Amino acid sequence: MKSIFIAFDQAYYDQVMGILRSHNIRGFTGWDRVQGRGSNTGIPHLGTHAWPSLNSAIITIVEKAKVKPILKDLKALDETSKLMGLRAFVWDIEEMI
Amino acid sequence: MKIYETSVRKPITTALIFVAVVVLGLFSLNKLPVDLLPDVETNVIMVMTTYQGASAADVETNVSRPLENVLNTVTYLKNIWSSSRENRSIIFLEFEYGMDIDELTNDVRSKLDLVKSFLPDGTQDPVIFKFSTDMIPVMMISATADQSLPALYKILEENVANPLARIPGVGSVSIAGAPQREIQVFVDPSKLEAYNLTIEGIAQKIRMENINTPAGIMDIGNESYALRVQGEFISPVEMNNLVVGSMANRNIYLSDVAIVKDTLEERAQEVYTNSVQGATIVVQKQSGSNTVKIADAVHKMLPDLQKNLPSDIHLETIGDTSDNIKNTISGLVETVMYAFVFVTLVVLFFLGRWRATLIIIVTIPISLVAAFIYLGFTDSSLNIISLSSLSVAIGMVVDDAIVVLENITTHIERGSRPKSAAIYGTSEVSVSVIASTLTLIAVFFPLTMVKGMTGVMFEQLGWMVTIIMTVSMAASLTLTPMMSSLMLRPDRKRNKFSKWLFRPIEKFLDWLDNVYAATINWTVRHRTITTVSLFIFFILTLVPVFMPESPIGTEFMPAQDNSRISATVELPIGTRVEITRATAEDLYALWREKYPEMAMINFSLGQASSKNVFGSMQNNGPHIISFNIRLSDLKERERSLFEISDLMRKDLENIPTIRKSSVVVGGGHMMGGQSTIDLEIYGYDFFETDKIAKTMSEKMAEIPGLVDIKISREDYQPEFRVQFDREKLAINGLDIATASNFLRNRVNGLVASLFREDGEEYDIRVAYAPEFRQSIEAIENILIYNNQGQSVRIKDVGKVVEEFSPPTIERRNRQRLITVSSTISGTTMDKAVAAINKSVDELNLPSNIYTQIGGSYLDQQESFADLTTLLLLILLLVFIVMASQFESLTYPFIIMFSVPFAVSGVIIALLITNTNFNMMSFIGVIMLAGIVVKNGIVLVDYINLNRGRGMGIIQAVINGGKSRLRPVLMTTITTILGMTPLAISTSEGSEMWKPMAVTVIGGLTISTIFTLVIVPTVYASFAKNGVKRQRRKLRKQLTTKNDKLEQRTKTKE
Repeated sequence: MKSIFIAFDQAYYDQVMGILRSHNIRGFTGWDRVQGRGSNTGIPHLGTHAWPSLNSAIITIVEKAKVKPILKDLKALDETSKLMGLRAFVWDIEEMI
Repeated sequence: MKIYETSVRKPITTALIFVAVVVLGLFSLNKLPVDLLPDVETNVIMVMTTYQGASAADVETNVSRPLENVLNTVTYLKNIWSSSRENRSIIFLEFEYGMDIDELTNDVRSKLDLVKSFLPDGTQDPVIFKFSTDMIPVMMISATADQSLPALYKILEENVANPLARIPGVGSVSIAGAPQREIQVFVDPSKLEAYNLTIEGIAQKIRMENINTPAGIMDIGNESYALRVQGEFISPVEMNNLVVGSMANRNIYLSDVAIVKDTLEERAQEVYTNSVQGATIVVQKQSGSNTVKIADAVHKMLPDLQKNLPSDIHLETIGDTSDNIKNTISGLVETVMYAFVFVTLVVLFFLGRWRATLIIIVTIPISLVAAFIYLGFTDSSLNIISLSSLSVAIGMVVDDAIVVLENITTHIERGSRPKSAAIYGTSEVSVSVIASTLTLIAVFFPLTMVKGMTGVMFEQLGWMVTIIMTVSMAASLTLTPMMSSLMLRPDRKRNKFSKWLFRPIEKFLDWLDNVYAATINWTVRHRTITTVSLFIFFILTLVPVFMPESPIGTEFMPAQDNSRISATVELPIGTRVEITRATAEDLYALWREKYPEMAMINFSLGQASSKNVFGSMQNNGPHIISFNIRLSDLKERERSLFEISDLMRKDLENIPTIRKSSVVVGGGHMMGGQSTIDLEIYGYDFFETDKIAKTMSEKMAEIPGLVDIKISREDYQPEFRVQFDREKLAINGLDIATASNFLRNRVNGLVASLFREDGEEYDIRVAYAPEFRQSIEAIENILIYNNQGQSVRIKDVGKVVEEFSPPTIERRNRQRLITVSSTISGTTMDKAVAAINKSVDELNLPSNIYTQIGGSYLDQQESFADLTTLLLLILLLVFIVMASQFESLTYPFIIMFSVPFAVSGVIIALLITNTNFNMMSFIGVIMLAGIVVKNGIVLVDYINLNRGRGMGIIQAVINGGKSRLRPVLMTTITTILGMTPLAISTSEGSEMWKPMAVTVIGGLTISTIFTLVIVPTVYASFAKNGVKRQRRKLRKQLTTKNDKLEQRTKTKE
């Protein structure tokens, strides 16, 4: 099992959920409004007067086989608009209950 | 979930809520009556008391003064005016605005009951009128007649006046100019003397004979019968056979000593319409009913009424206030439509996209229609104020929607889906949308709290705009994102046509952006030069206001061309009615020929009877002619009302027999006539005040631009006074009251009884035949009887002397005054008042006489003082709103730099259009306070944003300015173009709102241009200083820290 952490402009929320659904993934944990800034590019998402936009974040635990196709779809989504920003990070899951 | 999120996610609910608002609004609109002005709660009560036969001085001492003394104690009284003239005392009580007039009327009534018993015998009970705009006749219908003239009154009363009075909402219908029937008993005094009879005896006899008495119930067998004496005269001829006394056992019949005439009143007003004699039927409305509805109903009824009239009587409408209302309102509706079209075009020009334009334009009808719901709920009407509020608001309602849409578009362009873009785009700007709406509400809401005359005018404006702005804000936060989410497309493909249309516009706008960026790039680097030169510009524009001969004058209300002129012409007092009539006919012929614009000329002359309420309120008398002139429609003539009235004034001056005359533009409407200045001279002594009034009127006539100078006190009327010798009266067992009553009954006559026929009542008046009361000898020979029945002639107990007395005595706040009134035509109020004050100072008035300026000048002063307070209050409120939005005191201060340039703009606009500064322009200035700061808010907000994103000051300013130029220009141009139809309209009534529109357009244009330069420049200065101050502070902290460190190391060492 792998965990995927996805941080993205909150306007992407519906699309990201759509991608997860299309890969038959039911479980997730999400944060509606989080702050964030990319390391190199993109506009900051801080929810302030100067940077009013905000991010959402989702963490989902999937089977190893599904990681690649999901990341591919997310990458495609990110490509549609570079300015908004979407990043995904994958970890190993060591134990579960 | 936030409201904009809900609305985007539930488009059907959102759409239907607004559909419901529109349906409710249209439903209210459908029921709204049309009127000229909002309902003006009346604040004047008139008390009229008749004392037949008394001179002005008698009326003053015996009626007006006691009444004034008592009425003065009524609460909330502001001013008390009285005018005592022959036969009549009229008292006006002016109350504070906004009081319950019905309650006050009850107060007045109970005070009158207190004093009633102290009034002299012969005064009729005081009548109370609530005086308001409702008293202005709704319609005047002339009835011209030929053979039917003698019976005209009765025919009109039965066939026209009574049916008209049944129309719902009609208050009273009075007939002027048709003499009423009267039964006159003219006695021969020598015969009376011979038979030892008196007028009182005869009157008593008539009264006793002309009576029906129920005698009771009589039972005969099984039935009961009523027993009655039917003594009333069936025909006036019967009266000839009345036995009025006996002499030497022979009956004396009334025909032996008197002539009984079934005829018309002796003195009556004559009315001519287009030089044919007839009568005028005046229709007045009930308080609160709708003029247009009544006029329509009357118009509908007239053809039917005409059918029932004899063929020689013709009815024609000579005055119809509803015409003016209808034209004014349709003119305003037109301007609202034009404004709508202009605003649409501006939005399309800047956005270049049909869908976006549609989303924005939809907010206009929704917000405007919502305001009708308010009007419907408050039982208000479509009037000048409510409709011009729509015109004022139309350019501002799109502002919020523009800001929201612009941000949503940015999001979509960045790649967001329309739905999320709508939610997050709206969320980002919601605070600044609410703040900028609040600044406008801060301006308009205080208008609802103004008191007095101004409050009456602008309460509705305040409410309307506040409601419209609130609804437009709600729409921009819900409907606009909802529609954007459904209608905006991420890829903007354009067809060839729109490419061809919008490409050049875009190029132009890009060029404008660059030019502007270059300009502020220069100004922020040359801040001192920019600021100083703009300050000099501001000072230069102030010069015209402070020049000694200021080219911008002030006035109270703009004068309106409503095609009505009324003129009063007075010949010397005592002129016989025949001469007056001839003069009137000459004037009629002259004006008919000289002014083809005159569609209808109606004039009346002569004494109005005391029963004619409308007629007796106007100035009337055998020597006075009142003209009522209607001009053809505004579009059909070249000369304006004011030119024609000036020419008429010249005509009247050239006729030597005319003693004084006045031409009133607008037919004496409460508002919209030409402004007046009255010089009030207070003092008891007639002689002294007259003298001062005379010199002042001569001096005022020399002031250029003042016309129609009139002294309120009319010429002294020659009168005969009977001076009784009290001692001689006492010897004969008489007193003055009895003696004067005898005199009055013989000359004025005694109404003995009423003759009833066909349900109508006519006076039976007993008096000396006219030939026996036309000389001093005849008066001196009148016999007076004492209680013992002994007779004595007037010449034995007194003498008849000729004297002069003032015909009208006017008092204000229980002091005698004389008013020199003037109308302004060609100068301005402030200049005229300065000139008058100068000549008053030159007079060196005695200490017991003082003067005061009144007329519309007083109203202007009061209103301007109110409005100045309001302006300061509003500036403070706007500052508070801005300070709380920015959480700073510096930024609002920077933005406030736009306000002085609005003032410059107003001055320049007034100079260019040669408009006077009046109450409407003042309202324009107040509105500007809220409108102009909006641009500054947008600019400063974005510059702050840029700085927050890490830009340097100068770069933040230039970039911010460049990117906000289009929204600023767009919202400004929509507001300006929304007002333009108001400013250039020439329809009837447009004079009223023109100054306001001109003020706003001028102020907003200049202020926007300069705001775009001064705000970034001043911002840069302040920000630089702020940064420097921070650095200095930091350095100080650092150095002190370093010093301490050094000290510590030193001590360690």
